[in-house]
Amino acid sequence: MKPLFRATRHNMQQLTASVLLLVLLLARGGFAADPDPEFFRGINLNGPAVMIDGQEWVGSDSKLYVCSDKAFENQQVKLVPETDDGRARMIRSSRWGGNRIELTDIPAGRYSLFLYVWEDNNSETYSVAVNGVQVLTGYQSGITGHWEKLGPWEVSPSDKRIIITSRGGAANFSGLELWKGSYDGLSQPISTDDLAFFEKRIRPLLINRCYECHSAEAKELQGELLVDSRATLRRGGVTGPAVVPGDPQKSLLMEAVRYENADMQMPPDEQLSEIEIADLEHWVSIGAPDPRSTITKHTGKQINIAEARKFWSLTPLVAPAVPKTDSAWPRTDIDHFVLARLNEHQLQPSAQADRRTLLRRVTYDLTGLPPTLDEIADFLADSSANAFENVVDRLLASPRYGERWGRHWLDVVRYADTAGDNSDYPIPQMHRYRDWVIDAFNRDLPFDEFVRDQLAGDLRGGSTEAERQQRIIATGYLANSRRFGSRVDDYPWHLTIEDTIDNLGKCFLGLSLSCARCHDHKFDPFTTRDYYGLYGIFSSTKYPWPGIELDKRQRDFVPLVAPDQLKAMTEAQEKQGKQQEKLDKDVKRLKDAVKTAKGDEKSSLENELKAAERKAADHRRQPAVFETAYAVSDAGAKADAAVQIKGDPAKTGDIIRRHFPAVLAGGELPDSVTESGRRELAEWIVSKDNPLTARVLANRIWAHHFGTGIVSTANDFGQQGRRPTHPELLDHLAVQLRDHGWSIKALHRRILLSAVYQQSGMAASGAETDPSNQWLSRFPRRRLDAEAIRDTLLAVGGNLDLSPAGAHPFPDQNTWDFTQHKPFKAVYETDHRTVFLMTPRIQRHPFQAVFDGADPSTSTGVRMTTTTPLQALYLLNDPFVNAQSVLVADRILKHADDHQARLQFVFELLLGRPAADDEAVAATDFLHSAEQLLTPSRESSSDHTSAAWAALVRSLFRLNEFVYID
Amino acid sequence: MPNSLPIHRVTRRSVLQSLAAGSLLMPGLLSELLADSAQAPAAPSDPLEPKPTHFPAKAKRVIFVFSNGGVSHMDTFDYKPELFKADGKMTGVGGGLSNQQRKLLKPLWEFKPGGTCGTLVSDLFPHLRNCMDDICLIRSLNGNDNEHYNATLGMHTGSFFFSRPSIGSWVSYGLGTENSNLPSFIALAPQMPYAGTQIFNNDFLPAYHQGVRVIGGKEPIQNLNRRSTIPGLQEMELKLADVLNNRHLKPRAGDSELSARIRSFETAFHMQTEAPDAFDLNQEDDRTLELYGLKRGQSEGFGWQCLVARRLAERGVRFIELVDGSSSHNWDQHGNMAEHADHAKNIDQPLAGLLQDLKNRSMLDDTLVVWTTEFGRTPGVDGDKGRGHHSACFSSWLAGGGVKGGMTFGTTDDIAATVADDGVHVHDFHATILHLLGIDHTRLTYRHAGRDYRLTDVHGRVVKEILA
Repeated sequence: MKPLFRATRHNMQQLTASVLLLVLLLARGGFAADPDPEFFRGINLNGPAVMIDGQEWVGSDSKLYVCSDKAFENQQVKLVPETDDGRARMIRSSRWGGNRIELTDIPAGRYSLFLYVWEDNNSETYSVAVNGVQVLTGYQSGITGHWEKLGPWEVSPSDKRIIITSRGGAANFSGLELWKGSYDGLSQPISTDDLAFFEKRIRPLLINRCYECHSAEAKELQGELLVDSRATLRRGGVTGPAVVPGDPQKSLLMEAVRYENADMQMPPDEQLSEIEIADLEHWVSIGAPDPRSTITKHTGKQINIAEARKFWSLTPLVAPAVPKTDSAWPRTDIDHFVLARLNEHQLQPSAQADRRTLLRRVTYDLTGLPPTLDEIADFLADSSANAFENVVDRLLASPRYGERWGRHWLDVVRYADTAGDNSDYPIPQMHRYRDWVIDAFNRDLPFDEFVRDQLAGDLRGGSTEAERQQRIIATGYLANSRRFGSRVDDYPWHLTIEDTIDNLGKCFLGLSLSCARCHDHKFDPFTTRDYYGLYGIFSSTKYPWPGIELDKRQRDFVPLVAPDQLKAMTEAQEKQGKQQEKLDKDVKRLKDAVKTAKGDEKSSLENELKAAERKAADHRRQPAVFETAYAVSDAGAKADAAVQIKGDPAKTGDIIRRHFPAVLAGGELPDSVTESGRRELAEWIVSKDNPLTARVLANRIWAHHFGTGIVSTANDFGQQGRRPTHPELLDHLAVQLRDHGWSIKALHRRILLSAVYQQSGMAASGAETDPSNQWLSRFPRRRLDAEAIRDTLLAVGGNLDLSPAGAHPFPDQNTWDFTQHKPFKAVYETDHRTVFLMTPRIQRHPFQAVFDGADPSTSTGVRMTTTTPLQALYLLNDPFVNAQSVLVADRILKHADDHQARLQFVFELLLGRPAADDEAVAATDFLHSAEQLLTPSRESSSDHTSAAWAALVRSLFRLNEFVYID
Repeated sequence: MPNSLPIHRVTRRSVLQSLAAGSLLMPGLLSELLADSAQAPAAPSDPLEPKPTHFPAKAKRVIFVFSNGGVSHMDTFDYKPELFKADGKMTGVGGGLSNQQRKLLKPLWEFKPGGTCGTLVSDLFPHLRNCMDDICLIRSLNGNDNEHYNATLGMHTGSFFFSRPSIGSWVSYGLGTENSNLPSFIALAPQMPYAGTQIFNNDFLPAYHQGVRVIGGKEPIQNLNRRSTIPGLQEMELKLADVLNNRHLKPRAGDSELSARIRSFETAFHMQTEAPDAFDLNQEDDRTLELYGLKRGQSEGFGWQCLVARRLAERGVRFIELVDGSSSHNWDQHGNMAEHADHAKNIDQPLAGLLQDLKNRSMLDDTLVVWTTEFGRTPGVDGDKGRGHHSACFSSWLAGGGVKGGMTFGTTDDIAATVADDGVHVHDFHATILHLLGIDHTRLTYRHAGRDYRLTDVHGRVVKEILA
């Protein structure tokens, strides 16, 4: 060892200053290092200007910060560890109490923050947050005199400010040090000799033999160890500190290079030479002098944007040429795209469907209801060339359209009327968002506006107060993110934000972004940094609190009140609340009094109590002074978020600038933005250069018309999703949407007026080569969804309630006491359309569960169609089905006296067509037999007739034809 | 009307007679209606008819008991003397959610030997302890995920992230059923576990193989009870629907969804009589009720689930799942392990009763009883006195149906934090269950989305060591 040591010293002495400079330049070349960190500001929080580590700090009289905490000083305490006098004086005089320090006038950029803390008596435990991001949890301040320079924490100023706060035990904040750039804070003067040794012997060795797996540039970082900066090398990786300065025995680096541990032999391919090992040993033993003060970080997967955009769904969206097909069949461009594929597969399109089939199909498609008898008659009688077009326009203009297509959107956004926490707290205000969605579809709100309102409506204002309020309500999309658990401390907001991002990805982009919460996306070009770039936007957003087992009261709901009236209204509400309290107190006082009173006094007090109770109850029933929305607003502190290592919020890494992935034509949130960034997020999503939004939406619309999307995995346009059957057609539709004002109704018209939509559903000959009908040689037959089945039962019974459904009859909030053992659970019967049923998140609505309804916990991109005995049992025995059959029977009997007329009426009402002869015979015989069966059980013969017809109706309810659209 | 039926052959009188006749879905009428048609579709083969196994089966049916929430292995079936001694010491791994350093927490219950095999079982399961001679205990089960939802999904479908067919659906698909009047796969789930209905969903398998949920109470299956009080009326209604449905099907032959839906009414009709009979515990004698810890007239609780499971097994239901607990009330004791006692008490006697009852009726030989959970719990403390989620190793057991009783398989380290020997992954567990049913898990496949899917994906090893 010794001779080697001498040899290196000898070599080193030969270096001239110029050679050393060259080595430095070479060593730094080849990888893009950040500029060297630069001291920006030091503040002695309780004391004069002072010199620390050769840097000039300002004193507590500085105007560069705001802090109203109490001052404390005790210079008698012996510091542990000891330190120089200037620093010791600074440390022992500190601030405490409010534990909030606001640094002001900080230009945009990335900074490294250090915080000096100390303990003057007993250990305290506290957490520290910087710009609202928790950077330290469960910190223990230690024994008397213990001090620490905490940090560095990477931070970007929000609105030119950096705010440091702490929670928990009393913290003594002594001083702050802020560096521009990424500084590790390990100040350590290095002698020229040591520096030269490092540059000549150590840096090249590390670069050549270690960086491949252990540097910021490593393709896949091994063991979480970075050896390319002083701080990361000392911090070490998963097995602990790699270098302990001055102690080669405790340095894992030495253990690894010596191949002492069979499980950890580095470099694994070939051991270092004896000379190299000796160099490392010497370097560690002299204190591992290391000038590399910029903390490095492994940013994970590097996305090659040009490469990533070659994947079909990420390719730029441009209008494809319409294929030329030599056929009379096509009516629209859409048909040419479809026919080109049919031709490729030697398939023929089917003939036009008959009028009754077509009307039933399009009416269900656009409104979720069967055509009425009048509508059927009108269409059959209309011989004009644009008869079908007129039907389409009539249906698109119907309010029933929004109820149908709004529901499709509610599937995707996993709409629910409860929060989804373990107790499933109800959200009585949620229906406003539901109604907003329905209305947005009905007025054909352009989809880009639809996105903006849902993501940032609260930030947009409005041309009228009503519009402003509607936009606030629209952010119910974000508010409706799922809530979790039962705990109040440590409430898992990160899971709610996770749910927001998961839904945002699936809903607008067709991407499963949530994989990137814990690790870079395995299949798609999205990294953990991209994930937390979005996360910061939502951690800067204030979500309303719907209540939870241990904290039952709603808060942070957004008042639906004009800003200039808010103060007065709030006061009025407080007054109302106080009045209620007073009345409740009266009741309590009288109740207590009654307990002890006797005789006449008792009865008079009882009367008084009754009156007081009535008064209190009446007052409680008063409408609220103003209504609120389950909506979001910007949080008080808006800041970038830190990466949560492997998705664990307790382990934070780099703070990531809020951004939208570059591969989707996104970018970083400009420094000038003082809001959460939701407004910018909406713009990125609807940007013309983001290829996904239009593709995903066009596919959803197509899927609801044809049962299956061009991409059958409507929520997954990534590598794991299915590929489009008709990619050019999808792009054609997407471009139509994007370049024509994002009108959904216009796209409906294009699709519905095509020949492919109007085909017959019966299999043409030759179609057996395509049993799943992916090339669309016929119209795909499909079952009605849960909503359409129930709505149809109501419609044919004549009791469908089309008046505004409004709020659900939830119990009074004052009575809420839901826990995870007794969660909120209710089914509210109503004759309104099924979209208006109260939708609980945890306890699924039984009807929805039986008929493949949407999952209220996670985005439903595609509804399944299952066929189960439970569905059959529903149509056999459910009381609702039976009641509806009686209502239909009443309608039949009122409709006509003539038997044949009655029969034709019921077939047309339920199936949209008259009965065929053989069917009429079978039905007539059925009615006779049924009446015979019923005779002994009933008094009057009219009852038998009615009951027999009801039985016939039940029979027809169970027909495939009743619940399938051809 | 090229598709209309040859109505001239059906007289008014014959229709009337058929409709009024006693038995349901009389084949006579339909065959008469279709007799003339050269294109009459061949009767579609019954997707639930019993299918041949790949090799002779030891077990004909499965009772799959799932204890929701994550049952601690070191407090129940995996005795760790070192853990008792190391209480309060720091652990390297195995705290909180398995990967954090926490202080070790000793088990709260004593262990005693059970049966002649002498397997140590804690005082949480005094009744099951007496059954250890019939039980094959696996102490080295392990999964991929420490989240309830994912681990529950994984234990049921072999997929920890994506929705896939449940093991019950795979078994139904592979073997069909012995009783077409009951569903082939029934989930006795009064409460919903994590991951909800997905745990008994058929996913991409045909819908016949969907698990039917039973909740208990007066109407254990939703809408099981007939509303009409007129005898024969419902039969008539169904007959008419059947005639009209088949008429509608004829030009649409080949649409299996339509024929499946016709069939679902037949099953539903028979369920109305078969199922109440299966759920009617009044037919049981007092001694049997006592075995399960049941009071006469009781139609809920875990004992009820266990006894109904036996009755369904007797009736040829292929796969019966029992869900113990719900997603919000279960074995997930983060804060206080002592609460395990209530959950154990709830299932201990009924499960032991089920094993004994099956044995008494000579049904244990060809009925495989499986008890499992989504993961175990950490040796380190979580919260004040609780344990976290731990999928690295946990305990489950099998009984009857071709497994060796009185044995244990697999071991964990001194503090039950990792598998020491003979790890059994969830995929291996599934492969072994299928093997006992006579199914080669690599050959039970279904073509979907361009590839052949399996319950075990591309994994799975049959644990031959435990086969009798």
